[in-house]
Amino acid sequence: MLAIKDLHVSVDGKEILKGLSLTINAGEVHAIMGPNGAGKSTLSNVIAGRDGYEVTSGSLTYKGEDLLAMKPEERAWAGVFLAFQYPVEIPGVNNTYLLKAGVNAKRKYQGLDELDAFDFMSVVKEKAKLVELDTSFLTRSVNEGFSGGEKKRNEIFQMAVLDPDLALLDETDSGLDIDALRIVAGGVNKLRSADRAIVMITHYQRLLDYIEPDFVHVLADGEIQKTGDKSLALKLEEHGYDWVKENL
Amino acid sequence: MNLVEERRQEALSLFEKVGLPNKRDENWKYTDASRLADLLEIDGSNTAINIEGLGMVDLDAYRMVFINGAFDAAQSSLPDEVNIVSLATLQSSVSDDDSQALAKLFQVSGDEPLFNGLMALNAATASDGAAVCLADNSVLNKPLYILHVSNQNNVIRHGLMLGEHAQAQVIEHFISTAENKALSNCVTALILKNGASLEHSRLQQEGKQQSHIARVEVKQCRDSSYTFHGVELGASLSRTDLVVNLSEQGASCALNGLFVLDGRQHVDHHTRVDHTAPHCTSHENYRTVLDGRSHAVFNGKVVVHEGASKTDSAQSNGNLLLSKHAEIDTKPELEIYNDDVKCAHGATVGQLDDKQLFYLRSRGVSEEEAQELLTFAFADEVLANMSNTTVRRYIEKAAFAKLPHSEGIEGLLGE
Repeated sequence: MLAIKDLHVSVDGKEILKGLSLTINAGEVHAIMGPNGAGKSTLSNVIAGRDGYEVTSGSLTYKGEDLLAMKPEERAWAGVFLAFQYPVEIPGVNNTYLLKAGVNAKRKYQGLDELDAFDFMSVVKEKAKLVELDTSFLTRSVNEGFSGGEKKRNEIFQMAVLDPDLALLDETDSGLDIDALRIVAGGVNKLRSADRAIVMITHYQRLLDYIEPDFVHVLADGEIQKTGDKSLALKLEEHGYDWVKENL
Repeated sequence: MNLVEERRQEALSLFEKVGLPNKRDENWKYTDASRLADLLEIDGSNTAINIEGLGMVDLDAYRMVFINGAFDAAQSSLPDEVNIVSLATLQSSVSDDDSQALAKLFQVSGDEPLFNGLMALNAATASDGAAVCLADNSVLNKPLYILHVSNQNNVIRHGLMLGEHAQAQVIEHFISTAENKALSNCVTALILKNGASLEHSRLQQEGKQQSHIARVEVKQCRDSSYTFHGVELGASLSRTDLVVNLSEQGASCALNGLFVLDGRQHVDHHTRVDHTAPHCTSHENYRTVLDGRSHAVFNGKVVVHEGASKTDSAQSNGNLLLSKHAEIDTKPELEIYNDDVKCAHGATVGQLDDKQLFYLRSRGVSEEEAQELLTFAFADEVLANMSNTTVRRYIEKAAFAKLPHSEGIEGLLGE
């Protein structure tokens, strides 16, 4: 689904990703772990298409298409979703309106008719249950006044409604207490499917207790240093990231 | 000559002495009042205008209609039981005993905050207005909608007095039926007695060549509450002076402003709030969205006088420039003569937030629509405190029509 080849990315002239390669197939769940400053968020932002990241060489191929040539909204229409580490508050823009605009833009791109208000609301209400999100959230402004946990739940709720093929979860576990983590992880687990790839970017192993990955990658110094199964995450937890560097 | 006429003569003399404001006056630095000189000469005949189909706010309300500055009783609908009459009617019928009170409405002094010649001219030449007097403890059960329709010069002077614990909602709406040059000069004087509460909206949608000069004066007694919504969409030049005196303890005011401008529109609001008593609150929130070569001016002055302990005052002014030729001059002014106060102010000028834009786009909203959505949301936020949703929707629709918008986000208004 996604092939990253020898990706070099600079931010403000400083090279952050230094030749990262990674292949992600449908149905797989990947965890990308690494110390602060390793380039984890840079990777997710580049995939989602945020400005300010200069790709100096390498390629990102998504379903056979050059992802780098697509605008952020085109990537969303093609099925890429980023759950933000810091979801943005947007006063005055209604949550439901945003989702409806997103869903219908995607349907239009796929050549489908727009959902009518009734069908849309039934989808939304069903998905809200996945992350135990109160429907009163729907009429509020996007993330405005939400607690940290509510924002993260809202991200997974949006993911459920937008139904992506490739979901990137950027530090979705950060700032969550154990109950909220369980709810968010439960939502993600229900969204696992054979057609969907999920990439979790995280600093800590604890998320992986709840969402079991097929692959664990260690990202350090702008490159994938090591790939393994979930036992790699446990080793990391035990020995710290220095252990990876020492064992290179 | 009765007292009212005396005051009006004095006002005329005052205007003749001071003339129009000029750029040497700090309060008129950015607004060129000399443009108005020619307009004063315009002498139109009073034509009748039928208000049907003119784009009124569709409200269940008491209605006062002023056509070119004259009350039109036939097109108005007023409650019998409440004291709402036209000023001209009142003037012609007032007894000698009551004329003293009425004369006060026409009294203008050069010492008043934001004094200028135009307010004296208004007192001298106002042809009509609304005279509203709400009895103590009375609640106006429907909003009072004051519709001003013009196709030529008009001078209006409204006086509203809310008795103790009286409550009302007043909407002033200004529209014109012609695209000619003309001047509207409107003063609204408000007195809120103890515990009275007023929500006052002023929606200026005059024609593209019009000039609109306004002054709103509010005197607030103990524990009274005043909410102002000033919405500027029309006219080529529009200037409002908003003067609030929180004269007794516990009084509070909330002043909201929204300008949505394009072309060469020029809109200037000067607000002046005097905290003269303790425990008073003033909150001010002004937003402008400026396109084309439009120019907005916001000057918010708050004076906290010596006796005004426990004052709570906050002011914010956000400005969104959609074009590199648009211009904003914003200036908060705080004068504080008491240590025991909480005062804050802030102004921002800028473009749309990149993080918000990216967030929307990452959810599948196109770049263009995301920009439009954020622009609308920015403008709309200032209307959030408007209690009348019919008026709010009307303004949203009118403002939205002036903002760049594509078909896709029209559904936004239906939410």
